Amino acid sequence: MNIRLSAPAQGFLLLAPAFLVYSVFAVYPMLDVAGLSFMKWNGLTADKQFVGFGNYLYVFTQDTVFWQAVRNTILWTLMSVIFPPAIGFALALALNQNIPGRSPLRALFYLPVVIAPIAVATIWRWMYDPFFGLFNATLTALGLERLIQDWLGDRNVALYAMFVASVWQTVGFSLVLFLAGLQNVSQTLVEASRIDGAGRFQTFRYVTLPALRPSIAIVLVLSVINSLKAFDIVYGMTGGGPAQSTQMLALWAFTQAMQLGDFGRGAAISVVLLLITIAIVIPYLRWTRSHEGAR
Amino acid sequence: MSVRKQWLRIASAAALLLGGAAVAEAQEIKFWTLSFDNPGVAKAFDKITKDFEAANPGVTVKIENRGTDEHKSALRVASGSDQAPDIFFMWAGLGLGGEFIKSGLALPMDKYYTEYKWDDEFIGPALSFSKQYTGGRYGVPFTFRGEALYYNKALFEKAGISTLPKTYDELVADADKLAKAGIPAITFGGTVNWHLMRLMDEILEVQCGPEKHDALMAMKVSWADEPCATKSFEELHKWTSKYMLKPFMGIDNNQAFNLFLAGKAAMMLEGNWLVGQLRNANKLADYGVFTFPGADRLYGFGEYNYISTKSKHPDAAAKFLDYLESAPVQQANVAVFGGSVNKNVKSDSKEPLDLAWQAIFADHDKVFVNGDQAFPLDVTTEYFRVINEVASDHLDPGKAAGELQKFISARK
Repeated sequence: MNIRLSAPAQGFLLLAPAFLVYSVFAVYPMLDVAGLSFMKWNGLTADKQFVGFGNYLYVFTQDTVFWQAVRNTILWTLMSVIFPPAIGFALALALNQNIPGRSPLRALFYLPVVIAPIAVATIWRWMYDPFFGLFNATLTALGLERLIQDWLGDRNVALYAMFVASVWQTVGFSLVLFLAGLQNVSQTLVEASRIDGAGRFQTFRYVTLPALRPSIAIVLVLSVINSLKAFDIVYGMTGGGPAQSTQMLALWAFTQAMQLGDFGRGAAISVVLLLITIAIVIPYLRWTRSHEGAR
Repeated sequence: MSVRKQWLRIASAAALLLGGAAVAEAQEIKFWTLSFDNPGVAKAFDKITKDFEAANPGVTVKIENRGTDEHKSALRVASGSDQAPDIFFMWAGLGLGGEFIKSGLALPMDKYYTEYKWDDEFIGPALSFSKQYTGGRYGVPFTFRGEALYYNKALFEKAGISTLPKTYDELVADADKLAKAGIPAITFGGTVNWHLMRLMDEILEVQCGPEKHDALMAMKVSWADEPCATKSFEELHKWTSKYMLKPFMGIDNNQAFNLFLAGKAAMMLEGNWLVGQLRNANKLADYGVFTFPGADRLYGFGEYNYISTKSKHPDAAAKFLDYLESAPVQQANVAVFGGSVNKNVKSDSKEPLDLAWQAIFADHDKVFVNGDQAFPLDVTTEYFRVINEVASDHLDPGKAAGELQKFISARK
């Protein structure tokens, strides 16, 4: 028997397995969490009580940590959108040149990306140890004792100290995406611009940069998403301390649910985090597309 | 013998073997407990399970260890599935153990208390927690831990402290002497919130007295209205600002212990389990221990093992727990476990620290538990936060009790 399927039918047929898996493991849990955010549930018993917007009201008005976590998450996201992409971009420009040892250097800068975040957290926690850690030992050896810090114990320093570890781990990711983008910059256009009298900066500004726009969009969107859900490195380095001063929304949602046994509040925080992510990412993607369409 | 009979015998033997294998498979007891800090304890558990398995053919005991937070999370996840362990470790008392009992994860064990005569087996303070719950007896005592101040003898001598403090004021005076000699009086690890909490718990007991302290922890009186609560936060701040080895907010309890071992601080508020760690470090002779001056009750807590309601082999699990806590097994491991809750076990240790702890337990018939076992989980988290804010100079100690009460009042 010879069955002929239309092109859309073939497409849906091919999509079906992935759609099924995605529905079961992504869509259903998301809907379940959204439903749970209107319940009071301790995660131990089958008994769930409907509390309406009670959990949202609590986290917005009474939770002593929630707004600190919001502020930290926003700050972390802003820093993540600026520093790792900027450093990754600079490194990509450097490593796109024909310099000796280019390939080993690329591998070296990418290496931290493949290390598990919890391992990165452990490595850096030891380096930040106030008594025996690398940083304070180096400062002592250099006679710079006045700069010694309780890197992860001082609330004015801890978030930034953690962020440095995060930059070390994530910069390679931006680097690879920018490098891939740079490979696609048309050399014909570059040469044509130079023949037309453009300097290095003008070539970069009017040829290289526009060609990298898709790469920049991808790096920024992924940086926003990854930084909004920052969890492992915070959990491994400070656990949200000292005194909840490095708490993040993702970790606070986990803490509420899994450690304090309030799955309703944990779910409400997760939904807030999801809405913030959507509110940032979707307009940015639309803006990027509209600009691509206009070109 | 005919060929047919021979085949029958072979078939019967095979059936027995298969049956035996099936029993062995069916009798695996999953035991979830905390990671063993002391390698000696891990070795002891290995031998105990092997001996039990040898004495009970077909039964195997599989121990799974996790860190404290991971253990709690794993139990929470397991409670909603059919993959729960047969036995799980949890602290005793209404705060932590009570949560799992209330949720129905712990099996009432009255019939095992009768069958194994556990009431005749355990010391009273350890046993008392099993009677706190409504609906029966839950859990079997595993350990009973006391917490007290360990001190570095050489550093005390260097600071000119010749007699141990008997009152809280004397303790503060000694901390002053240590500070004048350039020695930090005490060390804590701030990343694990419960470590510094111990100091606050002890100060509250001294400043408020047993009844008021219990009422504060039960949230029956207002923290904001009790001057002793505010005074306690002020005293805590005095310790963290003047007498504590700094920095401390960025290190954990293990790092604090290593610093204590290295002679960087004179005292550490730890449990009787520290004797085992000092023994492993070959430093027993360098340290002494005394209870927190001014507190009449012993600061401590019970650790229990509970049988899960989801266990398919509760009888085998109870048999294993009975074996684990039996006098011969406990006697063989009393040194490595740092004591025993079995009242028939006698420590033959001549080590001064072991003897000091025996005297401490003998001298105290009343106990108060750690704050994180007295408070519900959400209040515990806020208690940690307020303590850490005071310790890191970000909250006026005079306002700390009010800050905690604000949270407590809002949850009602």
